[in-house]
Amino acid sequence: MWNWLALPGTLWMSAFFLLSLALVLLLSFGTTDNNFNPHFGTSLANVKALVDDAYLKVGLRSLVYAALTAVICLVVAYPVAYAIALYGGRFKNALIAAIVVPFFANYLVRMFGWSVLLGDDGPILKAGRKLGLPASFHILNTNTGVILGLVYGFIVFMVLPLYAALERMDVSLIEAGRDLYGGPLRTFLTVTVPATRQGALAGLVLVFLPAVGDFVSAQLMGGPDQYMIGNLIQQKFFEGNNQPLGSALTMVLMLVLLVGMIGYLRRARKDEQDAVR
Amino acid sequence: MSRRSELASPASANQKQAEMSAVVTSSPAAAAAAAPTKQRRRRVERKPRVAIAITAIFFVLLYLPIAVVVLFSFNSQKSLTVFKGFSFRWYDEFFHDHDMIASLGMSLKVSAVAMVGAIVIGVALALGMVRARSWLGSYAGFIMLIPLITPEIVTGVASQLLFKGFYIHLSTTTVIVAEITFSISYVTVILRSRVAALNPELEEAAMDLGATRWQALRLVTLPALMPAILASAVLIFALVFDDFVLAYFTTGVTPEPLSVRIYSQIRNGVRPSINAVGTLMLVGSIGLIALALVIPRFFGRKGGLDILSGE
Amino acid sequence: MTAIDAATLSPSAAADCPAVRLDRVSKSFGAPRSAAGNGFAVRDVSLDIAAGEFFSLLGPSGCGKTTSLRMIGGFADPTEGSILLDGRDVTGLPPNQRNVNTVFQSYAVFDHLTVADNVAFGLKRQGVARGEIRKRVGAMLDLVQMGAMADRRPRTLSGGQRQRVALARALVCRPRVLLLDEPLGALDLKLRRAMQVELKQIQREVGITFIFVTHDQDEALTMSDRVAVMNGGVVEQCGTPEDVYERPASTFVASFMGTSNLMDGVYRDGSVAITGGPTIAVGDRGLRAGCAVSVSVRPEKIWLSEHEPQMVRIPGTVAETVYSGPTTTYLIEIAPGVTVSALEQNTDRSRNEERWVNGARVELGWRPEHCLVLESAPADQSSLVAA
Repeated sequence: MWNWLALPGTLWMSAFFLLSLALVLLLSFGTTDNNFNPHFGTSLANVKALVDDAYLKVGLRSLVYAALTAVICLVVAYPVAYAIALYGGRFKNALIAAIVVPFFANYLVRMFGWSVLLGDDGPILKAGRKLGLPASFHILNTNTGVILGLVYGFIVFMVLPLYAALERMDVSLIEAGRDLYGGPLRTFLTVTVPATRQGALAGLVLVFLPAVGDFVSAQLMGGPDQYMIGNLIQQKFFEGNNQPLGSALTMVLMLVLLVGMIGYLRRARKDEQDAVR
Repeated sequence: MSRRSELASPASANQKQAEMSAVVTSSPAAAAAAAPTKQRRRRVERKPRVAIAITAIFFVLLYLPIAVVVLFSFNSQKSLTVFKGFSFRWYDEFFHDHDMIASLGMSLKVSAVAMVGAIVIGVALALGMVRARSWLGSYAGFIMLIPLITPEIVTGVASQLLFKGFYIHLSTTTVIVAEITFSISYVTVILRSRVAALNPELEEAAMDLGATRWQALRLVTLPALMPAILASAVLIFALVFDDFVLAYFTTGVTPEPLSVRIYSQIRNGVRPSINAVGTLMLVGSIGLIALALVIPRFFGRKGGLDILSGE
Repeated sequence: MTAIDAATLSPSAAADCPAVRLDRVSKSFGAPRSAAGNGFAVRDVSLDIAAGEFFSLLGPSGCGKTTSLRMIGGFADPTEGSILLDGRDVTGLPPNQRNVNTVFQSYAVFDHLTVADNVAFGLKRQGVARGEIRKRVGAMLDLVQMGAMADRRPRTLSGGQRQRVALARALVCRPRVLLLDEPLGALDLKLRRAMQVELKQIQREVGITFIFVTHDQDEALTMSDRVAVMNGGVVEQCGTPEDVYERPASTFVASFMGTSNLMDGVYRDGSVAITGGPTIAVGDRGLRAGCAVSVSVRPEKIWLSEHEPQMVRIPGTVAETVYSGPTTTYLIEIAPGVTVSALEQNTDRSRNEERWVNGARVELGWRPEHCLVLESAPADQSSLVAA
C-alpha cells in the first residue's frame, strides 16, 4: 500500500524534474530563428559563446559573491545562533521564530525595503553623511551592495542549522573547555566550532547554492557591472529572447553546482536514514 | 522588551560562570595572582556581550527594511525617504487599481489550489516514502530533496521550458503546476519526521479492530497527522503567495501573480503604492506563518519550530 | 456482563479443539523484534491453548514471546508453520479478518477520539447499529470502571486509565481470544498488582481466552492457568504455574522462575558430587553415571531446623542474612565458593528462637523429592505440546 501512496508524488516529481532538466540540456544545443523563436538543434554555438571572457567574468563573479556571502553569513550567524541557543532561555523559541517568520515572508518586498534603506537617500547613508561619510560613498550599485543583499536574503539558512547544532551540543563541553583552555575565544575555536561543524557545513551549502543563482539582489542592489549568472539567464529568457543561450547558461550553472548538490544530498540521505530507520 | 530580558539572563549566567571559573582556576594555578583571575572574569563576561550585541544589531537590521516599507506605506507624500505625514492614500490607490486587484485575486487562487494539490500529493508521498521498504521509497526520498537545493532560477527556467517544450501556453495553470511541484518538497520535508515518529501500533490497533489498511490510514493515521498537515498547508499558502522567481518564469500575460507585478513596478520606476502592497503582503504572510507555527497548540501539542524540524 | 455464550462459537469448534494452535511456527530474521542468535526470532514452536484459558508467554527480552503473539494477532507472518484459530487456518490473514483482539504494549489509544469513541471503534467497523453500540460501550466501560470518563479525551488520562480504555476497546468486540502484550509493564507496582487481580476477574467473568505476554515471572505465576516459558525463540516448558515452578524441565526454567540454587556437579549412583563442594544424596534418577547435571533446591524448601528423618542434610555456615519483613533469606556457604540461599518465614514459631546469625554453623535439610536434578546439556529444541 505504501508504494501506491508514494507513486503519484514520485511520478510527478520525476516527470517534472527529469523532463524539464532534460529539455534544458537539449535546448542548450538549440538555435533561434529570425523571429526569436527557439528551436532544438545540435548547434554548439551557445557552448562556444559561453567560453567568452564576458561570460566567464560573470560566472566567476557569481561564485565569488556567493562564497563571500556564505562566509559573511557564517561569521554573522554564529554569534546570533550562539547567543540565542545558549542564552536565550525561555525566549529561545520566540527569538528563532522572530527570525524565521520574516524570512519566509515576501523576499521581494524585503529586498526592496533593504534597497531603499541602503540607498543614497536612505536613512543609513543620510546619517552616515552627517557623521562624516563622503558624499560619493554609495552602497547600491557596488559589489558591497549586492553582497549585502545576498547576505540579507539568505542568512536565515545559516542561522537555522547553526542554531540546531548548538542546541544539540552538550553545554558542559564549553564549561569544561573554559576550565582547560581559559580564554573564551580559544574555547570557542577548540570546543564549539568542531562540535557544530556539521551545522556550519550545512549552512554554508544552504547559503552558497541558492546565492549563486540569485538575480534579485543584483537587480535591486546593483547595476550591470554587478550582474550575476542569474541576471544573464533572466535577460536571455525575457529580454534578449535567446532562450537556447539562456538554457546553456542554466546548464553551466547546474553543472557547477552539481558537485555541491550531490555531496549535500548524499549526506542528507544518510542523516535521514539514520534518523528514520 | 524581549531584548532586555535577553540581556538580563545572560548577565546572571555570566556572573555564575565567572565565579565558577575563578574558583576552579584559582587553586590549580598556584601562582595565579588576583590580577590574572580578574582578567579572566572580565574576558568571560565580554564575549557573550559581543555575541548578544551582534544579535541585537542583527534583529534591528532584519526588521528595519520591513519597518521602512510599512512606515512609508503611510507616507502622505510621494517620497520614499522622507516621511511627511500620515495618510492612507497609497492603500486607497492600491484598492482602486484594477490590475493590482486582479493580480491579488490571481495570487490567492494560485496559492489556494497549489496548497490543496501539494498537500494531497505531499502527504501521500511522505507516508509512502517513510513506510515503504522498497527502492521506490528510497528513490522518492531522494527526488523530493532536489527542489530544495536547486536555485530557484534553475527551477524557473526548467519549468518554463517544460511547458513551452510541450506547447503548453503559460497561464495561471502553469504557475499552479510549477508551484505545486515546489511545494510538494516542503510538505514532504515537514511531514517526514512526523510520520516517522508516529506510533506504529496505532495503525495495528485500527486493523486489529477490523479496519482495512486504507481505513486505518483514513481513520487513525491522518487524524494523528492533522496538526502537521494543517500547519504545512498554511505554510505552503504563504510560501506560494510570496513566491516570485518561479511565478515569474511560468506565468502567462495577465493577470500576473502579485509578486511578479510588484517586481515589474519596482523595475519600471518606483511608485510609493508599492509600499502599501508590500505592507499588505508582509502582514499577510507573517500572519499566516505565525499561525502555522501555532496550529499544533490547538491540538494540545507544542507549537513552534518543531514543525520545521524536518529541515 | 454475560460470558461469551456458546452461540458465538464457530460450528467447527468441537469441545476438544484448541482455541489457538501454533503448529511448528518459525519466524526468521527480518522480523522486527528478533533477538535469537541463529537469526530466528521464533523457532519451531508448537502450542495448544484451550478456550477460556488464561495463558501466559513468559521469558526474558528477545525470547520471541512478543513475536509469537504478533503472529497470532496477524501483525507478522510466520516464515514456517501455521496458526489456527478454532481449527481454522488463519496463517496469512490480516488482523482485521481474525476473531482476535489485542491490547498493545503502548495501549495505542486514539488521541483524536473520546474514550467512548475509542471503545466504539471496532463495533463501528463491524457495522453494529448505533443504539447497540451505545449499550455495549456503556456496559464495557462499566466493567473496566471507566464509565464516568466516557467523554474524556485520552490525553487527559493516566497510564492506568488508558490501559483500561485499550482493554475495553478490545473486549467489546467479543473476540474469541484476547492478546495482551506486556500491558502492565508501564504501571507502578501497586497499580500493577491491582490490575493483575482485576484482569483475572474480568477474564473469568467474560470467559474468553487470554494470551498474556510478560517478562515478569511473578505476574505469570499469579495470573495464569498455564505458562509457556520461552528462551531464544523456543518454548522450554509449557505447563501450569505449579508444574513450571516445582518441576522445571531445564536449568533455564529453573533459574528464570525465582531463585533456584543451581549447583553444577556430576551424577553417580544416586548422588551428585557438586563441583567444588560436598556430595549430595539425590536417589536413583535413572541417569547414566558420570553425566553432568545441575542440582536445584528452592530456597523455601530448605529447612534450617526441626528436620524430618528422611531429609537430606548438609552442614554449612551462614554467610549473609537478608531480612525482608515477612521472610528472611539466609545465604549459607556449604563449601568454599558454593552458596545456597534458604528462605525462612519470620513466624517466631520455631522452637529454636534464635535467628541464625552470620558465622553460625547450621544444618540444611530438604526432602529428597524437592531436590531437582537436571541434565546440564543445553535444552534441545523439542517442541512442547501442552498437556
